[in-house]
Amino acid sequence: MNKKGSKYFHAIQILEDNCTGCTACVRVCPTEAIRVRDRKAYIDPNRCVDCGNCVTACEFHAIIPSSDPLDITQKFKYNVAIISSSFFGQFTEDVSYSAAKLAVLRLGFDEVSEEAMVTDFMISIIREYIRKNRDKRPILSSNCPAVVRLIQVKYPSLLPNILHQEAPMSILTRYLREKISQEKNLTDEEIGIFLIVPCVAHVTAVHQPEGAYKHLQDGAFSTGMIYGKVREILKDIQNHPEEIDTYPHGLTWALSGVQAELVDTDDIRALSVNGIDNVMDILSRVEDHYLDQYDYIVLRSCTNGCVGGCLNVENPFVAMSRIKKMSKEGEDKPIHVEELEKLHSEGEFSVSPLSPRPIMELDKDIKKAIKKMKKINEFLTMLPGLNCSACGSPTCYALAEDIVLGKASLDDCVVLKRNCPADEDE
Amino acid sequence: MAEYWYIAEGFEERIDGFRSKKSEAEVDLEFEIPEKDFNTAGKGSSELKNLLKRLGVNSEILRRIAVASYEAEINVAAHSKGGIMHSAVYDELIHIRFQDEGPGIEDIDQAMVPGYSTADDLVRELGFGAGLGLPNIKKNSDAMHIVSAKGNPTVLEFFIYFS
Repeated sequence: MNKKGSKYFHAIQILEDNCTGCTACVRVCPTEAIRVRDRKAYIDPNRCVDCGNCVTACEFHAIIPSSDPLDITQKFKYNVAIISSSFFGQFTEDVSYSAAKLAVLRLGFDEVSEEAMVTDFMISIIREYIRKNRDKRPILSSNCPAVVRLIQVKYPSLLPNILHQEAPMSILTRYLREKISQEKNLTDEEIGIFLIVPCVAHVTAVHQPEGAYKHLQDGAFSTGMIYGKVREILKDIQNHPEEIDTYPHGLTWALSGVQAELVDTDDIRALSVNGIDNVMDILSRVEDHYLDQYDYIVLRSCTNGCVGGCLNVENPFVAMSRIKKMSKEGEDKPIHVEELEKLHSEGEFSVSPLSPRPIMELDKDIKKAIKKMKKINEFLTMLPGLNCSACGSPTCYALAEDIVLGKASLDDCVVLKRNCPADEDE
Repeated sequence: MAEYWYIAEGFEERIDGFRSKKSEAEVDLEFEIPEKDFNTAGKGSSELKNLLKRLGVNSEILRRIAVASYEAEINVAAHSKGGIMHSAVYDELIHIRFQDEGPGIEDIDQAMVPGYSTADDLVRELGFGAGLGLPNIKKNSDAMHIVSAKGNPTVLEFFIYFS
C-alpha cells in the first residue's frame, strides 16, 4: 500500500498495467499530487491527502483503494467492528438499520459497535473544547482525515485551529479497549478493533493516525469490499430477524450540515462545508480572518459528508435521504456516558499537536524561491496556456514548475512539439 | 491631483531607499478588475496569495498582503469603472499597485475615516461598502500611497515587507 521511500502512508495504489496515461486523475487532484510520466500515473506521497478524487475519476481501474483483508481478524482473540454511520445508507429501503448492523456482526466479529453511539457525547466535547479555546477562532473540525491532511499540506498556519480531540470512531476505540480488556480479561494485543469505513482517508488514518497518543485500530475494511458478503448474510437475517441495539438519533453524524447544527447554540456559531473545493475556498478565507465570526467550522472533503466517500456503493444524496429517514425511527439505547466522561477527563481522547507537511514552498530561502518563481514565469510564457494536461502535469503552470524543479522538460509539452516539427529531427 | 502618503513608523528609510533605487521586480503579476463584477473580484488577490505561498512568505505577513490586496481589489470593483491590479515581487517586499479608470476620490482624507463610504445601493446590497476598505489596507501595509482627484483615475499602491 505504501510507496517505498516516503514517510507517508496512503491507501491508494496504482496498477501500472491498467493505467493508460489518460491524465483524468491528474486533473481532479486538489493538491496537484499526480503526474503522468512515460504514460503512467505517479502519486507524490508528500502531497497526497487521500481525498479519493482520483479513485473516482479513473475509468480503467488503475487507481485502486486499498483496505485490509477480512482475514486479518484471525490474529486476534476478540474482534470488534466499529461501523461508520454512512454504512447504513447503502441499502435498499427493505433493509432495516438493525438488520444491516447484525449482518456486520455475522461477518465474523465478536462484537459490533457504531459511530452513532457517541454522537451526543462528541457534540458535548466539541462545545467544551470551543469554550476552552476562545483565543483561537474559528475551531476547525478534525473528524475528516482528508481535511486534516489538506490543512497540514496546504494551510499549515491553521493547524492550531484544528480541534485537537479524537474523532468519534477513535473515541469509541479507546473506550472499547478499556471495557473489553476488563470484562473479558484480555490484553490489548488480543483485542482486534476494526473500522468499517466509507473512504480511503479513513483507511490511511487507521494505518497512520495523526497525533494519536495511544494504540487505536488494527485495520480498516471498506464498505464496498464487505458489501457483497453483507448482502448475502442479509438474505438470511431477513428471514430470521434478531434484536440488536441501535442508535438512530446519532446516525446523522454521517451527514454534512448536521454536526454544525448540533454544535450551534447560543454562544457558539457553527458553519458547515462539504466537498473538497468548497473546503479549500473556506480554508483560504479562514487564513485571512474573513470568517472569524464563526466559532466552529465543520469541514468534510466529500459531497454531503461521509455518505459521499468513494468506498460507498450508494449515491451520496440517496444515502443521505435514507439515513435521515432512519434517524427519525426508533429510540437510541442509552450509553454509559459516565465512563466516556471519565476517560475524557483523564485526557484519553486528546491529540498531540499536529505538524505541517509543507509542500508549497519552492525553496526554504525566500530569495532562491523568488529566483525559481522567475524562471517558472519564463517557461510559462513559452507554454501554450491550454492547461490540457497532455504532458502529464495538471496545468501549464505546473509543468513550468516541474521543469524548474528538474522533474520535466519542455519536450513534455505535446502542443509545442506539434507546432515545432523541426525539433523532431534532432 | 490630491496625494495621500502613509508610512508606518520605522519604515521611512526603507521605503525611501526602495523608491529611489527603482530596481526591476523579480516577479510580476497582473490582473484586470472589471467594474462591479463581484463574481471575479477577489480572484487577483487569491492568485497572488497562492504565488506568495510558493515563495514561503511567513503566514502572518501573507495574511496582511491577502487582506490588503483583497480590500483594494473590491474597492476598484465597487467604486470605479474597472482597473488593473499589478503586483511586483522583490527580494524583500511586495509592491502592489491598483490603477482604475475613474471617477476618482473627491476627498481622500475623508475616505480614510473608518465607516465613511460612498458605495451605491447595489454594492451595499452585495454586502460591501462598510467603509472599512481603505482603513483596512492602511492597517495591514507598511506604506500606502494614493493619488486621485474627482473625475480622474485613482492610483493606490501599498508596500509590505517580507520580514
